[in-house]
Amino acid sequence: MKEGKKKKKTETSIGESISALGAFFVYLITGLFLAVGFWVVGEKYSVDLISDPSLTLRLLWIIEFPIVVIIYSLFRRNPEKCSYFRAVGRSILGLISGAIINALGAVSLGAPIGLQSLPKTIHWSFLMSVFTVVPATAVFGASWTNWHRVFASLKPTGNIEYMILIPAYGAIIGGWFGAWPMPLDWERPWQEWPICVCYGAIGGYIVGQIVSLSLMIFLRKHKNLKLA
Amino acid sequence: METYLKNKKLIAIGFLLIHSIAILIFTRGFLLTRTELPFHSTCSDVSLSPCLTSPPPPIHDSNPDSLSSHSNHTQPKCWTKPVVDRVIIIVLDALRIDFVAPSAFFPEPKPWMDKLTILQKLAFANESSAKIFKAFADPPTTSLQRLKGLTTGGLPTFIDVGNSFGAPAIVEDNFINQLVQNGKRLVMMGDDTWTQLFPNQFQKSYPFPSFNVKDLDTVDNGCIEHLFPTLYKDDWDVLIAHFLGVDHAGHIFGVDSSPMIKKLEQYNSVLEKVISILESQAGPGGLHENTILIVMGDHGQTLNGDHGGGTAEEVETSMYAMSTKKHTTSVPPEFDTSSCKQNSNGKQICISSIEQLDFAATLSALLGISSPFGSIGHVNPELYALGSSNWDLDKSESGNSGTQSAVKEWMENYVNVLCVNAWQVKRYIDVYSSSSVVGFSSDDMARISDLYAAAEQKWSNSVKHILMDRNGDENSTNISAFKEQIAAYLNFFSSVVELARSKWTEFNLNLMITGFGILVISLIIQFLVVFHGDKSYALGSWLSTGAAFTLFLVTIRACSFLSNSYILEEGKVANFLLATTGLIKLRYSVMRKTMRKEAVIFLAMASVLRVSIDIGLTKQAATSQFMSSSPSSMLGIALDLPALTYAIEIAPIVSVVMLICVLYIAIAKTPSEGMWKYVTVGSMISYFLIALLWASESKIFGLDGVLQVTGGRNRIPQTVYAIGLVQLFLLAYARMFCTGEKRVWATRAVALVSACSSPVILLSGKQGSLLALAYLLAGYCIMRLEGVERITQSDRQDKFSKLNPLCVMQWSLLSICMFFASGHWCAFDGLRYGAAFVGFDEFVLIRQAILLTIETFGFSVILSVFGLPILVPIHSQTPQAHGQKRHQLFQMYMLFGVISATTVTATILCVTIQRRHLMVWGLFAPKFVFDVVGLILTDLLICLASAYYF
Repeated sequence: MKEGKKKKKTETSIGESISALGAFFVYLITGLFLAVGFWVVGEKYSVDLISDPSLTLRLLWIIEFPIVVIIYSLFRRNPEKCSYFRAVGRSILGLISGAIINALGAVSLGAPIGLQSLPKTIHWSFLMSVFTVVPATAVFGASWTNWHRVFASLKPTGNIEYMILIPAYGAIIGGWFGAWPMPLDWERPWQEWPICVCYGAIGGYIVGQIVSLSLMIFLRKHKNLKLA
Repeated sequence: METYLKNKKLIAIGFLLIHSIAILIFTRGFLLTRTELPFHSTCSDVSLSPCLTSPPPPIHDSNPDSLSSHSNHTQPKCWTKPVVDRVIIIVLDALRIDFVAPSAFFPEPKPWMDKLTILQKLAFANESSAKIFKAFADPPTTSLQRLKGLTTGGLPTFIDVGNSFGAPAIVEDNFINQLVQNGKRLVMMGDDTWTQLFPNQFQKSYPFPSFNVKDLDTVDNGCIEHLFPTLYKDDWDVLIAHFLGVDHAGHIFGVDSSPMIKKLEQYNSVLEKVISILESQAGPGGLHENTILIVMGDHGQTLNGDHGGGTAEEVETSMYAMSTKKHTTSVPPEFDTSSCKQNSNGKQICISSIEQLDFAATLSALLGISSPFGSIGHVNPELYALGSSNWDLDKSESGNSGTQSAVKEWMENYVNVLCVNAWQVKRYIDVYSSSSVVGFSSDDMARISDLYAAAEQKWSNSVKHILMDRNGDENSTNISAFKEQIAAYLNFFSSVVELARSKWTEFNLNLMITGFGILVISLIIQFLVVFHGDKSYALGSWLSTGAAFTLFLVTIRACSFLSNSYILEEGKVANFLLATTGLIKLRYSVMRKTMRKEAVIFLAMASVLRVSIDIGLTKQAATSQFMSSSPSSMLGIALDLPALTYAIEIAPIVSVVMLICVLYIAIAKTPSEGMWKYVTVGSMISYFLIALLWASESKIFGLDGVLQVTGGRNRIPQTVYAIGLVQLFLLAYARMFCTGEKRVWATRAVALVSACSSPVILLSGKQGSLLALAYLLAGYCIMRLEGVERITQSDRQDKFSKLNPLCVMQWSLLSICMFFASGHWCAFDGLRYGAAFVGFDEFVLIRQAILLTIETFGFSVILSVFGLPILVPIHSQTPQAHGQKRHQLFQMYMLFGVISATTVTATILCVTIQRRHLMVWGLFAPKFVFDVVGLILTDLLICLASAYYF
């Protein structure tokens, strides 16, 4: 039944489907822009994540955000009803609300709450929002059932939903593990909030991309076998 | 069913016993304890000894004016004849042996060697009256313990059982105390640890704050500023100057660094100046005619600048001693400990060795005062010889019989000093083993007594007579008799020290491993009880997500104890894990579309606790030597806004009022059941009294008059304690004699928790009520969220009696967070001693200890164990469901026990692994003590709770 439903959907909405190869290119572009962000920060401003975390994080999310929105808005649900620019517009809202949720989550887990760490926390949560919430808002919009199905029930269908779900969870789990070195007394500058959490999140995001890609390939083969 | 539950009570008691035994065995091996004796030596004691109470008479008779003519303040003679008038002790913290000793003694020269050139120059000059010693410290090599060891002449352990309740001041008899008792005047400058240890003893003191490790110069500059002027004054007898720069430079930069070398060079110039002042005043009649200068380290340090443990680098420090008298007695080769090397010029250079243990006894003998009661060191022959140059000065110059006579003279004195010394050590050992908690074994005592008896026999039979009637003949036989006598005494001393070391400084690894093994076995049994004890009520399966996640959390928490950093920030780690469980629950509740509000409230409570833990951490950083206070974690806003102060004053009172409301609702909702209800009403009265007390203490209500009406500020707390006791008594009575309906254990739980909570809140101070409210709210959310993972409503009914371990884990994490949020941390300076005096002014050990225990473990153990039943949802109350619930509750208790025991086992394992760690005494051992006490208390309360609820 699920198959049938999905077929119907793919018939109605062209933008939704994406092959594993397409996903690979999407990941390549997002990863490339992340690298570009780091390069710009290093070359133009000659700082890095350790020496000036808030500037670096700001540039990273400002560079990463448009590309994510541009790509994922192509795969929006119901492209007939929802124009491309509407998808872009709602992802901006998604960026802000996602940042608030991420920041609250970080504070409840123990992120510093002083005024001097406020800009770092804000920019970190914007970056996390780009990783986690923005692709989903671009694709789903405010459709709560889709959100619920993908993020809470963990029942993604179709490649694009894998692409939304797994890297997002990867970034969160990576960030969670990235927080563990923070209390250690090695007195390294990267142990400061939010540097290692940030590395963890980026690492987790990339791992999530790889996992989702291999899952897509595996599932397709599986399906082909089934069909055969 | 009833007999079955009775068996279960026995299970709880069984675990309490096994844990106690395991911990007792482990503690015997790990936590070396020593009892501090309250006795003091006095001058008159010496008449009890077999030794000569007056020095060999001929010296005084033949040379009445040889000494003491210049000493303006001749004291009446005490134990032995004083040989120096003034002592200057310069302590250079963390002075490694290779800072002082020439590089020829080490395999290869390093940049930090040979910097204190002035000491080497003087020590190796011809006809020198100075010497370099390699000094051996005993672990723990931290400044405070070392200063205690140096001044008491004992081996301070991690737990010195004594009367010092919180204050670090040394209560035991010590060298400083003896000096004061004998009318010596003391001046101290430098590290303020001294003034903490000896708050009243110094006539003048210039203390400087020592805990800012990054500050290399404040203490040193302060020392230097006061040191030179003081040297010209004559209003002191003993001067102590404690420099900290080298220690701090080591901590921050390590030994091989330019700040360290700069510090050493600075010290060299300071010492140069000190010595030149001394020499300028050393002439006859001068201020420093008969002064001994001692430059010493309190402990060594590793190349990274760490110290605290027992490695050679940390234990080996150095001591330089110099007498202003130019001539020194040479020690007979039998007692010479020096080791010699050729230096680069081909000159023979020697350094001697000394135990820091002997410092107090030797200095006491040099100054002629009684040595501290608990000193187990002996008078070091070489250091004693340095000071005792003055007797023979006249004799040898008058050319009587040269060095031979000088040696004899020295030996006569030394043997008598040793006699007194040996008698004092024997007295201490006897008194200690008869009066301490854990004495020495009778075998050891017998061996020591034999050695002492043999030495004393020899003394009274021959040596004493030789000393008494000295004819001047038979020099050679006398000298050999003396030598034998000294050797006998030294033999006695070395076996005493060996025994004391084995008792007070060495871990017993066998006992530790046995204790740990027993604990692991009990843990396995506990796991079996939880998972297989009773199939129908036990946990679902190993593979359920809840169980797996719980296991993951327990493991990650257990592993975190391996690092000192995670122990320091344990509160934050626990809160991190708690918030993580909250996030997981939030995800489930979103997924199931129920109780999202509860999940969000739970996360909010976790955030509240986290802020509270942050505030606690800043308090901890202010006192801890391991943490740097990080202002970044503080709020960057000023806290002195008037509105904010009002809020801070009012919030606790408002939350007490809210707690009263909660209790009222709890009573009103449950079906009436006489006794339990009245007990709860009692708690409401207690809460009201607490609110009244706080309101009258704060200024904004203008209720100052209330205190006068109620009769002082102690009356209300005492009333609250009394109400609490009566409530507990009533509850016990009701439990035993009222065979009412069993179904109402929810009411019972409310009654018990409320009865316990009022003293806890009172003792915790104003934050207590806020925290209690947060605790209650978070607990309620845990209860509501308990079954949220289950797939559907029908499934929830189905697996109704299956226990979800995650909620117990959350409860356990919450209780740990409460410990830290209520302003505690695992260190003895984290205890809130003020709480022991809420309601009482005078000190009664047992009463105040009980109050302190309630305050420390109130939220984290007492309330969390008794409050565990609130995690059981109370919707369906059919009798059959009730029976199931009771079994489930018991399983929850077992699970709670197993989680606590697992963390404690992990702590014990980590302590065993890290027993040579730098911070073992500063961090791991206190953590161990807190955990172990918490575990025993948890087990005990689980027993009580299972007796009460089942």
